[in-house]
Amino acid sequence: MTKEAEHAIEVKKLTKRYGDLLAVNNISFTVRKGEVFAFLGPNGAGKTTTAEIIETIRAPSSGKVCLLGMDVTKKKHKVVQHIGVLPQGFSSFDRITVRETIEYYSRLFNCRNTDIDKLIELANLKDKSKEQFKNLSGGLKQRLGIAIALVNNPEVVFLDEPTTGLDPRARREVWDVLLGLKKKGKTVFLTTHYMEEAELLADTVAIISKGSIVAMGSPGDLIESNANYLALTLGAVDEKVFEIIKKIRFEPVRANHNSIKVKVEHPEDVQKILNTIKDSGASFLSLDVRKPNLEEVFLKLTGAALREDFAEKVAQ
Amino acid sequence: MSLQVICANLIVSIKSFYREKTAVFFRIAFPVLLILVFGTIFMNQDNVRLDFNVQDLDGTDSSAELVKTLEFNPKFKITMVDPAIDAAMYARENKLSLVVVIPKDYESSLIKRIKRKDLKAAVTVSYIYDPSSTSVDTKMQILNSVFAEINQSMSGKPQFITPAQTSILKRKYRFIDFFVPGIIAMTVMTASLFGAVNVNAELRQKGVIKKLSTTPITHTDWILSNVLYQFLLSVISTISILIVSYTVFDVSLLLNLWLPVFVVLDVFAFVGIGMVLTRVAKEAESAAAAANAIMFPMMFLSGTFFPVEMMPDFLQNFSRILPLYYVNEGLRASMIFADNMVALRCSVIIGVFATVVFILGTMTTKWEEG
Repeated sequence: MTKEAEHAIEVKKLTKRYGDLLAVNNISFTVRKGEVFAFLGPNGAGKTTTAEIIETIRAPSSGKVCLLGMDVTKKKHKVVQHIGVLPQGFSSFDRITVRETIEYYSRLFNCRNTDIDKLIELANLKDKSKEQFKNLSGGLKQRLGIAIALVNNPEVVFLDEPTTGLDPRARREVWDVLLGLKKKGKTVFLTTHYMEEAELLADTVAIISKGSIVAMGSPGDLIESNANYLALTLGAVDEKVFEIIKKIRFEPVRANHNSIKVKVEHPEDVQKILNTIKDSGASFLSLDVRKPNLEEVFLKLTGAALREDFAEKVAQ
Repeated sequence: MSLQVICANLIVSIKSFYREKTAVFFRIAFPVLLILVFGTIFMNQDNVRLDFNVQDLDGTDSSAELVKTLEFNPKFKITMVDPAIDAAMYARENKLSLVVVIPKDYESSLIKRIKRKDLKAAVTVSYIYDPSSTSVDTKMQILNSVFAEINQSMSGKPQFITPAQTSILKRKYRFIDFFVPGIIAMTVMTASLFGAVNVNAELRQKGVIKKLSTTPITHTDWILSNVLYQFLLSVISTISILIVSYTVFDVSLLLNLWLPVFVVLDVFAFVGIGMVLTRVAKEAESAAAAANAIMFPMMFLSGTFFPVEMMPDFLQNFSRILPLYYVNEGLRASMIFADNMVALRCSVIIGVFATVVFILGTMTTKWEEG
């Protein structure tokens, strides 16, 4: 590791091709030490390919990738000493217990000082330490995967879709573990297609679509610069409300359950719409005003939804 | 190469092994069961008795004397058939493989030949037989030689050719003695081949190999620890087979350094084939199917269960290109015939093969993705 390495990760003009398929298209970015960097994009966008190139699992077609100042293609054996990886769909030896699995990986790294109990505690697996891997639920497996990724006390932790396929409760449990890592000041490279995950955990988010980075910044900045409006939803409205809003030069959109959505730029516009409806004698039953999220940013930037369920939600 | 990493892998493999009961059964108990089953079936092969029936239509002292002569042969177990019934129908109804019918004029013809020196006096003993029986040819051949001997002694002239038997082995060996080396070779082959396929294909498909590739474990550490693990299990199963063979069947085998040499070469050869298969067949299931396609012909055509010499020429030639053939031949040469030259020749052939496939397997086993 070079002493003067400013960034934990530096990716320059990285391209990866599989035959005719261009999986990663000339992307460049840097990850600061101690930050949580989220790669946000739908399935097949190139998130995992990029992560696996940095993790030394795959070779790039072109471009340069450095981790802590070391070229990952030339110094694989040194690079792996400084990283901890939770691969996508993490799996381990079926009949080996939680404790034994952590011990095994710690031996691979020749880490004599690994505090196995502490890692088990960090991953909230104390009650399951004698359980064989095959008997663990999806969430427990992911938490074990995170514990294993930390056996060598790595400077950079890669978490590839750590909560995919987990139920909401298990997802929150994994998030708690990740928040713990953030508190410890670890550099975390997170790939996800859950915008709430990126928004909750990441300092920097890179939105990737079809192999290219389309936007990068903090979640707040991305929302501010790409979706600077308020979304007003009026539920169970009278028939005439739609026309009333149109008359005052807003653009209402009919949604499901007899509701109307309106994008407004300023909070005063909300008041203006509500006053106009009140003055006209029309009525509505419910009111919701909220700021847009990363998912809407992604939709705006790429014209595609991150997840199918969100696409359906937007369509409604 | 790191000894600590190799030990860590060995510990995980051994724990996984003994926690998986089916693996323990197929690795240790199954070959022992094979030895027990086949050993019991062929235990009395050398004292095999050939059953057949005799119908004496003559019913005289002379014909009774002939039956006694046949009974004198320890291989024959004779059951008499009532002379009043149709022998062919009786054989069909009772599913008899052979009924020997002594004709009615047996004694009178015998008297004519011996006392009156009438050379034209002769009898025909009929064989009524079931051609679908696998042993009937042997029975008829032995009977022919018995009758030829009677004819020869009646001629009153001494034998011109007298056969004398000299065994190439120092002591008498039984089928089980030949069977045990074959089972050892087959068990090591099966376990090494499937061990390599399972470890590499299944763990790769599950993503464990991908995870391992982000740790300091090297390719060499991984392959060496797998070979060591297979060797360890092969030693355990070989010892189990030998213990059962000695205690239950009292086998007489020569245990010398050739045994570990052939076990090691067997492990390297088939772990190598397993690694190549894993690379060629992408999915764990197709790799296992390919391993089966290689294993079964090898098992039956390499002389594990029956001698290669029993097969047609073209299959015998095919057998000689199978690696397991040389492990079987080498083990038998060293454990039965004490023939060091044949053992050496076989070990060189299997050694060269093992080296080539193992290097090929090591080169084709890649952790890094494309």
